[in-house]
Amino acid sequence: MTCLLELSNISKSFASVRVLTGVNFDVRPGEVHALMGENGAGKSTMIKIVAGVLTPSGGEMRVNGEAVQFSSPKEANARGIATVYQEMLLFPDLTVAENIFLGHAPRGSVGHIDWRSMRAKARVLLDSLDSPDLDVDAVVGTLSVANRQRVEIAKALSQDARIVIMDEPTAALAETDAKRLLDIVRRLRDRGVGIIYVSHRMAEIFAIADRITVLRDGVMIGTRNRDEVDQPTLVSMMVGRDIAQLYPKAEVTLGDVLLETRDLCCNERVRNVSLSVRAGEIVGIAGLIGAGRTELALTMFGITPATAGEIRIGGEAVTIRSPREARDLGIAYIPEDRGRQGLVKAQTIRENIIHPILDRISRYFLVSLRKERSLAVQSIKQLSIRTWGADQIAGQLSGGNQQKVVVAKWLGTKPRILIMDEPTRGIDVGAKAEIYTLMGELARDGIAIIMISSELPEVLGMSDRIMVMNEGKLVAEIPRAEATLESVGAAMTHSARHQEIER
Amino acid sequence: MLSRYVFRHETILALLLVLALALSANLSDRFFTVDNLLNQGRMLTEVGIIAIAMTFVIITGGIDLSVGSILGLSAITLGVVWKTLGVPLPLAMVVAVLAGAVCGAVNGVIIIKSRMPPMIATLGTLALYRGLAEGISQARSVRGYPEWFFVLGQGEFFGVPTQLWVFGLLVVVAAIILGYMTFGRVTYAVGANETAARFSGMNVDRAKLLIYTASGSMAALAAVIFVSRVSTTRSDMGMGIEMDAISAVVLGGTSIFGGRGTMIGTLLGILLIQTMKNGLTLAGVKGDGTIIVIGSILILTILISNLVNRKRD
Repeated sequence: MTCLLELSNISKSFASVRVLTGVNFDVRPGEVHALMGENGAGKSTMIKIVAGVLTPSGGEMRVNGEAVQFSSPKEANARGIATVYQEMLLFPDLTVAENIFLGHAPRGSVGHIDWRSMRAKARVLLDSLDSPDLDVDAVVGTLSVANRQRVEIAKALSQDARIVIMDEPTAALAETDAKRLLDIVRRLRDRGVGIIYVSHRMAEIFAIADRITVLRDGVMIGTRNRDEVDQPTLVSMMVGRDIAQLYPKAEVTLGDVLLETRDLCCNERVRNVSLSVRAGEIVGIAGLIGAGRTELALTMFGITPATAGEIRIGGEAVTIRSPREARDLGIAYIPEDRGRQGLVKAQTIRENIIHPILDRISRYFLVSLRKERSLAVQSIKQLSIRTWGADQIAGQLSGGNQQKVVVAKWLGTKPRILIMDEPTRGIDVGAKAEIYTLMGELARDGIAIIMISSELPEVLGMSDRIMVMNEGKLVAEIPRAEATLESVGAAMTHSARHQEIER
Repeated sequence: MLSRYVFRHETILALLLVLALALSANLSDRFFTVDNLLNQGRMLTEVGIIAIAMTFVIITGGIDLSVGSILGLSAITLGVVWKTLGVPLPLAMVVAVLAGAVCGAVNGVIIIKSRMPPMIATLGTLALYRGLAEGISQARSVRGYPEWFFVLGQGEFFGVPTQLWVFGLLVVVAAIILGYMTFGRVTYAVGANETAARFSGMNVDRAKLLIYTASGSMAALAAVIFVSRVSTTRSDMGMGIEMDAISAVVLGGTSIFGGRGTMIGTLLGILLIQTMKNGLTLAGVKGDGTIIVIGSILILTILISNLVNRKRD
């Protein structure tokens, strides 16, 4: 059987940096070939080469056995390769049908667009994707993410794609939508389309992939049939070492209560939250998106000050009206949106690290460049931030290393209470492990940690206690010993009260 | 390492400035005379002082279109407070600068409280302040200032025009604030990512308020120097000066999107524009021709700088 697509010995360098070395990869008709690897492993680069966005520096690419060289995505399209991108590239003000056939609309006898046929064809395409509910005249901007994705897939099919690249298609989807997407992928596969599927979600990979290829540091580690591997094997292929201890939960003797809230409220978003955290303790806060977890953190950090209730630090009632006041009370907040809230991406590591402590490392308002540099160098070493130096622009770092810069900048304030909001979102397994280890060390040093996370394994793995929030309220408090995926999950969704919160 | 300096926007500007100076000297033998150069120094001071504060404003991602109107209103305030109200002139000068500060603070408060884009807010106050100036002046100019007052705009110290000393001092102070002080770091952070600045505990609103207030104050200071230089006060003073100041700042490499810019760049921008204006005038080019050349140079410089810098990234 000829392969739809064959990459042999493909390499790619940017300037002097090698990002892909001698990669071999193929896609057969009617198979889902998963591509896995940590962030920065070279997945995106490989996909872009196949899609014609990048040209390889070396090696050979064959489509249907024929050697090809793409100099633009258009040429890849003409060869039957279509990409469903992470960030949707649709036109929000056009209708579903217009988006699907943009650039290759069916023409009438005098060259005008044959709207009737276009709409009919769009209908057929969407029906074939099991989406009869999707209106071809709907304006794309009004659709949900899941529906927009179906439009993208339909668009790919309208160009008679034989090879479809899907880059983390379920990253932004809720569970039911993700399931439906997997059904659509299976339909495509059954029609003989070859699919390159990139995802971080293990369960999904095992549910859908026929073969799995793992990349690490731009090198192909191996291709396996799905039946031949299990999850730990894949993870160690990706990370390059055993991560038996991903969650190094250290035994720490707990100290005094450092932070306590009593009936804390912030408008309607945080309602009567009473909690306490002790020195050396890690309290996990679980809950669905919109449950009020981040809002609670923002209230304690002074971004949206409390409208009622009390915050006590070390036993004393305090008012926190700004992040500066929070910092002076020893509270640090590592925000959930790294790029928007956590970092000034356009500035250097050095500049970013001193942002919260400008007043402390200056004299007569003059910034001490010497202290700035030594703090940055020290942070880079302490958190093993992978960079060429303190003067590197933060935005050029990988997600994991950017996150370490955010952590470093807040550790620089010498906090006693650390609130971490989705501390490992969008970072690779290796960096995750490093963040967890660091959390353990900080707890041992007597810092009280509040961790907000949507990743239940992480909440279960790291927390001494788990608080569950729903509609702005604390609905359950579960000690580590009793916490399971089921008990926490149930509390999150059904507001089932596992244990009444003491008042 | 060397290329980092060679390709800097400021280096390109400095080369252009040298080129412009050489060309001007070539076109007219009156250009490279001490008298002419010092006189050009007098001419550029008002725009220059405004451009100093404008650099901060634009680095935060904002803009202040109302500076020309503040200049007019402050000039009228000076004249009316002194002549009509009979307040001693030194005190009237202080009142005029305070009036500018208040105008700037009003801009700041509108921008911070209403979250209105600075372009819209200051477009509004551009009309408002000019209207006030005209209303107060009733189309009458104020003259007859005492002789000592002209020291500021027409006198000199150690052979250099008085206002150039003021300008030089302000440039140095502003460069230190922007480059080496905590306030400078806050300014850049606010422009590059306001949310992250807020989340880092910076008082973003206070920084903006200070910067717009400083912008108004600098416009007022420019007004006092302007009045002293031309010996008279009129309500239409400073009309369009905001465009000259913004052009100099942008030519100096400050990003209109915020987060990037230097004081040395702004200084070079001012010097380059003034050199071209003067050089072309001396060479016999008419006013409209001069504007065309300056506009073209502005676009070309930014274009070249962007091209060179994109290649490096």
